[in-house]
Amino acid sequence: MRKMTITLSVFLLWGSMGCKPSTVDQEDFDNLKKEVINHFADHVAVATYEDLHTGANNLHNALLALEANPIEANLATARTAWKEMRSVWEQSESFLFGPVDANSYDPNTDTWPTDYVQMDSLLASTNPLSVSDIEGFTLSLRGYHPIEYILFGNHGDRTAASITARQKTYMINLSTDLKNSCSKLLNDWVTPPKYVDEVKNAGNGSTIYLKKQEIYLTIVEGLIGICEEVGEGKMKDPFDTQDPGIVESPYSGNSTTDFKNNIMGIQNVYLGKYKIDGKGLNDLVAAKNKSLDNKIQTQITAAINSFDNITMYYEDAIVPPGQRVQIQQTMDALATLKTTLDTELKPFIIQYITD
Amino acid sequence: MKYIYSFIFILLLAACRQAQPFDEDAYDERLSGGGLATVFDETQGAFGHEVGGLNKRDNEVHGIGDVTFEQSFVAAPAPVNSGLGPLFNNVSCISCHHNDGKGTPSAGMTNSSLLIRLSVPGKDAQGQVSGVDGFGGQLQDLGIFGKQPEGTVEISYIDSIVTYLEGTTVTLRKPTYRILNPYQPLPANLELSPRLAPSVFGLGLLENIPEATILGFADENDTDGDGISGKANYGWNYFTKRKELGRFGLKASMPDILNQSAGAFHQDMGITTYLFPTEAVYGQPQFDGLADEPELADTLLNAVAFYLKTLSVPARRNVTDPEVKRGQALFKETGCANCHKPVVQTGINLAIPALSNQRIQPFTDLLLHDMGPALSDYREDFLANGNEWRTPPLWGIGLFEKTNGTPYFLHDGRARSVEEAILWHGGEAEKTKNSYMKLSVSERNALLKFLKSL
Repeated sequence: MRKMTITLSVFLLWGSMGCKPSTVDQEDFDNLKKEVINHFADHVAVATYEDLHTGANNLHNALLALEANPIEANLATARTAWKEMRSVWEQSESFLFGPVDANSYDPNTDTWPTDYVQMDSLLASTNPLSVSDIEGFTLSLRGYHPIEYILFGNHGDRTAASITARQKTYMINLSTDLKNSCSKLLNDWVTPPKYVDEVKNAGNGSTIYLKKQEIYLTIVEGLIGICEEVGEGKMKDPFDTQDPGIVESPYSGNSTTDFKNNIMGIQNVYLGKYKIDGKGLNDLVAAKNKSLDNKIQTQITAAINSFDNITMYYEDAIVPPGQRVQIQQTMDALATLKTTLDTELKPFIIQYITD
Repeated sequence: MKYIYSFIFILLLAACRQAQPFDEDAYDERLSGGGLATVFDETQGAFGHEVGGLNKRDNEVHGIGDVTFEQSFVAAPAPVNSGLGPLFNNVSCISCHHNDGKGTPSAGMTNSSLLIRLSVPGKDAQGQVSGVDGFGGQLQDLGIFGKQPEGTVEISYIDSIVTYLEGTTVTLRKPTYRILNPYQPLPANLELSPRLAPSVFGLGLLENIPEATILGFADENDTDGDGISGKANYGWNYFTKRKELGRFGLKASMPDILNQSAGAFHQDMGITTYLFPTEAVYGQPQFDGLADEPELADTLLNAVAFYLKTLSVPARRNVTDPEVKRGQALFKETGCANCHKPVVQTGINLAIPALSNQRIQPFTDLLLHDMGPALSDYREDFLANGNEWRTPPLWGIGLFEKTNGTPYFLHDGRARSVEEAILWHGGEAEKTKNSYMKLSVSERNALLKFLKSL
């Protein structure tokens, strides 16, 4: 999953340890290390998952309203609710570790591609499509994308009146299943045994993260991972093959927004700024190496802004003439950011956070 | 002229200098996978790194294999990732080999990684144990919508207590398996073998260990009288169409990564490939009747095999910690290292430098050993009998909590910790287990800390 530029950088770094003068008092730096982790846990990770849970409820309610009154306005509201929830989820993918990974919430909610054959036979069957039925379905019949397919059709060609009763039942219970997953994910973080405590107590009683350095590296690996997944997977695979069929989130035309939100997630974590702006990795880096902090912030902003140049549907933009130049520019910006995170931020963590 | 003599003299001196043996302690013990196939990552992604030194094309192929390994497959016909089922155990490679690591010992759920091999006494043309009519060699416990699975698996556990000399106790759990709701009756002489998905990193290094090295570890009739045999298994290579030394699979019955991968696509996901072009359920009522074989493109199967071949091994941690050092010594003294070979040298590989001629620390001899009746599945697998299992590599076992949550060990995941796994050792390993049990608490902790450093 990850490319190996790490080995060398780690070696090089150990050679240079302790050479740089500290610009802050060690005690302040130690406090900062705690603050950054605490803020990430409470005000980035948990806050994001709270919003995700709220988003799932909003989507569910919007779908109920659509079922009760299948008018275009209600369809539009439901589509907006789907996109809003999707935006939060994609941002949360910048920290795909902990319960979301260990307890399979990611595959249970965000599996792609759509399984048309199974969905058609399911809808044509007499299966009650209850929540418990859905929980037993294969992954491709659960989560965001079957809902997206029913709500949007092909690039939004679905009409409110054309959604069948079976599709509505399926969609509503899919949203309940999604809501349940989001609720469990949030609870795994905040109710005992709380994962949030494992994060905050890293190096101080956590059974998972025996050193603070481990949670920091986990966070940084998460940032590198999503950067790579977007730049070298989600965008590059369809780009290289020029195959619109392998673009994720095609029904809603939301692919580029998904990608951008992934990178905005990197910004949230790095700056420690989701809804509340608090101590983030930027403060930690700036305390020792201001130019590295400037570099990372500049590269994150450049990558995020570059998505705005892709104005066509992503599945159209990859096919010549399309917007291949703009896509390549974004992938280049992501590659640059990934290299910095991998070869400069990660060694920074290993050098300065040793406890 | 005298300069020429001096020069010749110096040349002679240089020629006489013998190569000094390289001190074993001078190696960097962190480098589990050698110089280019070791990665310094202790996080949940530790098993997912590509080896160093790949050329641009190989790098691309690794990436394509990576994506395919992670993709969910869907029912045929479909524009993307077509071919799941009709019956299967899971929908993607990553569903069982989570984070390229180990599986969860449950069956029939989305995150399940346990499957059941089926057979009746007798051998087929390749020398493998015979499959069951109407079921084949593996129970597929899930199906695409509308297709009845072959059955479901019920797993139950009975606890037993092991007590150390000083009174500390450990609870072990012994599993039993029942197949419920078979779609047609199962034969009375049915044999079944549970198998938990193993981790998939470092496989290229293991594949590149010279055959002579592995056979050199073998001592089938225990001629040296140390109580440890070590037997090579020979399984069928569906590519070369001949029997070859087995290295992979829990009974070492798979000769290489390509066969292992194609076998998993075929049996675990119901996806046909050029090695297995006939649907696993062909001849059964669940067959889809589609002429879409092979469902997975040849290049994608090869890319997945290449991806697995080129996954790095995580570096060891805390190698200079005195307690870890003490545990390392005890690992040898108690006899663990007799089968879990700490150091092996890989062979020359001109195609992939990272795998070539590397000093690696896999902690396996890749051979079969009698592990005693408590672990037996009472079922043959090519040359392996029920009691015999392949020594699993131990590299990376200290990171499974991070990559996979609860680390489940042994062929069926019955052990929930390394300690439980040790206590299950029997047969040839009985003596070593008893030596372990006689250690003091601090010695045992040191040994476990050493294992945690792998």
